[in-house]
Amino acid sequence: MTRLGGRLAALGLALSLGASPATAAQAVPAQAQGQARTAAQDPAEGKRIVRLGAIQAIDSMNPFLAVRVISTSVHRWMYAYLTTPDPKTLAPSPDLAESWEVSDDKLTWTFKIRDTKWSDGAPVTAHDAAWTLSKIMTDDGAKTANGPAVENFEAVSSEDDRTLVIKTKRPQASMLELPIPIVPRHVWEKVPDIGSYEAEQYPAVGNGPYVAIEHKKNAYVKLKANPAYWRGAPKIDELHVIFYENPEAANVGLKKGDIDWIGRLAGPQFQALAGDPDIVQWNTQGRRASYLQINPGAATADGKEIGDGHPALKDPKVRRAIHHAIDKQALVDQVQNGLAVPAHGSIVPPMYKDFFWQAEGDARVTFDPARANEILDDAGYKKGSDGIRTMPDGDRKLEMRFSIHTEDPVEDKLAQFLTGWLKDIGIRLTTRKLDSNKFTEETGSTALYDIAISGWSVNPDPEEVFATHLCSRRPTAAGEGGGTESFYCDEEYEELYQRQLAELDRPRRIELIKQMQEKLYTDAPIIAIYYPNNLEAYRKDRITSITPIPEDKGILYGGSGYWPVYSLQAVATPAGSSGNGGLSAGLIIGIGAAAVVALGAGGYLLTRRRRAAADDRE
Amino acid sequence: MLRYALTKLGGALLSIGMVVVATFFLFRLIPGDPAIAYTRDVPLSPDQLALLRRQMGLDRPLPEQFLDFVLRSLRGDLGTSYEYRRPVAELIGERLGPTLLLVGTGLAVAVTLGLWQGARAAWNHGGRLDRFSTGLSLTLWSVPTFWLGLLLLMVFAAGVGPVPGIFPTRGMEDVDAPDGPLYLLHVAHHLVLPCLTLVAVVYAQYLVVMRSSLLDEIGQDYVTTARAKGLRDAEVRRRHAVPNALLPTVTLVFLHIGLVVQGAVTTETVYSWPGLGLLFYEAIKGPDFAVMQGTFMVLCVAVIVMNTLADVLYHVLDPRVRSA
Repeated sequence: MTRLGGRLAALGLALSLGASPATAAQAVPAQAQGQARTAAQDPAEGKRIVRLGAIQAIDSMNPFLAVRVISTSVHRWMYAYLTTPDPKTLAPSPDLAESWEVSDDKLTWTFKIRDTKWSDGAPVTAHDAAWTLSKIMTDDGAKTANGPAVENFEAVSSEDDRTLVIKTKRPQASMLELPIPIVPRHVWEKVPDIGSYEAEQYPAVGNGPYVAIEHKKNAYVKLKANPAYWRGAPKIDELHVIFYENPEAANVGLKKGDIDWIGRLAGPQFQALAGDPDIVQWNTQGRRASYLQINPGAATADGKEIGDGHPALKDPKVRRAIHHAIDKQALVDQVQNGLAVPAHGSIVPPMYKDFFWQAEGDARVTFDPARANEILDDAGYKKGSDGIRTMPDGDRKLEMRFSIHTEDPVEDKLAQFLTGWLKDIGIRLTTRKLDSNKFTEETGSTALYDIAISGWSVNPDPEEVFATHLCSRRPTAAGEGGGTESFYCDEEYEELYQRQLAELDRPRRIELIKQMQEKLYTDAPIIAIYYPNNLEAYRKDRITSITPIPEDKGILYGGSGYWPVYSLQAVATPAGSSGNGGLSAGLIIGIGAAAVVALGAGGYLLTRRRRAAADDRE
Repeated sequence: MLRYALTKLGGALLSIGMVVVATFFLFRLIPGDPAIAYTRDVPLSPDQLALLRRQMGLDRPLPEQFLDFVLRSLRGDLGTSYEYRRPVAELIGERLGPTLLLVGTGLAVAVTLGLWQGARAAWNHGGRLDRFSTGLSLTLWSVPTFWLGLLLLMVFAAGVGPVPGIFPTRGMEDVDAPDGPLYLLHVAHHLVLPCLTLVAVVYAQYLVVMRSSLLDEIGQDYVTTARAKGLRDAEVRRRHAVPNALLPTVTLVFLHIGLVVQGAVTTETVYSWPGLGLLFYEAIKGPDFAVMQGTFMVLCVAVIVMNTLADVLYHVLDPRVRSA
């Protein structure tokens, strides 16, 4: 026992010996930092670096292949697009295209390309833009990221260095929202197979506000300001995008100062950052709508009924009664902890002021269980002795399933509220938890659902989310899913959709899009419940200024365009250290020293033991 | 001996063949259309979905897909990731290094610590040391890895109260990592917390196996004989009892070496460690079936190879197996 005690004491000694050089080493860089900080008052001394934490790694640095939000965001910062959303109104505004006009038949678009330079000094021309767009049209391997955007293109050509001409098959109102980065032809035409090209050549040639200079896969992307950028170089020197797989770890990184900014936070993660004096909690309107899918009697694109949706849900009155039974404000308060806005409209969130529509006055379906009961009574759905209603023909009870994802506490909570409210109007709801593959299949292809949770993020041009409610998006006759969000199919809605596609007058198009939302609201194949807020956080001791998009209560990371990262201003980092790199170097030396001491102590103990053993033998 | 090794090798090859077949059908049993599942947040027209299905090879009849899969697997081609648009084998190769570093180091430390503590505990069984070390290791064994990892991260990476946050919060290296020998220290610095988490959670199994195995040996006649020779207690343990007690742990260790390539999904996720575990986790989130299939196959093959090696080694180490 005494021997053991002695050894433990020795171990403790080794540990404390190991610990002291570490603390000493820590003190040194702190001091050095202090000196550097005074030196850094001369702006030439330190770099202004902003480090963005991302809960996603880059899938590809090739803009023809990248689909993850993080990658498309980085590409928005590296390459210019023909147009960019205006920072105030989000309406399309000039970017690489200085101006444009469209022919009277609405089929030919002519863009005037800005006279500017690629980051390698070569001039940017209309031939670059024509090559990029044609490549996507003609090469299946280049379609991965933006194939849908050029599907309606007939031909693309460059008449001279400045003039780009796009001919479309049908009029296309969303032409000024092309999500396509224009790449330098002189670099990319040498690539033999775009579909398998990784584009890991640095510095990457671009014409956006930043140039990518390094990418360490699954770790970080390093970008530096592009001095040749036509609007002028950004006000910071470097932008680092640092990958965290785990949101909680990213939070720790932000609190500690390993990163300066995180976008797209979940509610609990956002709330965990409260109370830190150095951190700004950014809570604004979001770009997402959460809604319930109500199976309206699913069918394939050729009209054959599929699935096993409850027959009562085919009745618009039942769907309306369900709408009346939902207390959206309670969902916001209880399920979203107040970090959302109750939805009285449809799939376009209020952030998009132009396109946003909501029901007013009598048209609004308010939380009113009595009214819901009245509607169902009048329609002949009689309540049985157990309080559950039956179909008017009396042969089936209103017992329905609510499909949610497994392991999603928010949806779990939502299900509890909904079950209670529907019970009050005589509908029994049972929750069905599905893994995401099964969920996608049952709510998108096979229609094995009654009510399901869903949601969609919307771009400044909302056309694509409206397309998810078209007849043609329903599964094919062979049962292959086509990307419907509701199995909705309505003649009037189809007509409105086609009309807005061809309407190039923005105010008139906005009007049509609002009518489509009203249609979805009254027919209720989906019921919007709330618009979750956009939650972000950044360190104000590092980032001194950043402008959201839109400028009024907008988004910092993950919105459209590059305004927020272009507007960034930051405190200079002390010279000779980049972020925590300098600190780490000091610590590393400390830890190295500690390890050496520990090894030494261990070795000493070992030799002592050997000697003792040898003594024993003698 | 040769015949024994060949039998084992044949068995292993048969198992690998079965793994290839099973993998193909297992991943086709997953519900849902892979093209739809993969693009679930992207609005696509039916034409684009058809193109994607063609690119994924889903439009071909199942037997044809199967034959293609088998032939490619034999060539070592594990297919192409939908998410990264790159060969799966290349993705796995990229992640292998970090995983071997993390899980390999973790395993080495856990085995050493576990066996050493186990031997100590058994030798002083019932004593205070035994109760303390066994109790501690089993407590850590029962702790969820995710929770322990986050706790260590919050305490030692962020710093709490008087404890300074001296470790990094993520990954294997930072932007602008130093070059040369300092780079090794830089990575080692990043390795400390993930490795600690991994060791804390798994070392109990080596401890427990070693402890019970040594307890069996303590009562044996040869131990009494050794004592009777007048050997010191520590000598009896080190020279006689422990080598015999080590045998059962060989299987365990080899099995776990095979599992090294699985990475440590939870630990790698918490610490954003760019290893195979993280790749597998992302593939499930995708879902990227090609990557799931590829990592699964590599894992199975590694386990089979290591088990075969353990069998052969056992034959060498233990005369009783040879005579049987």
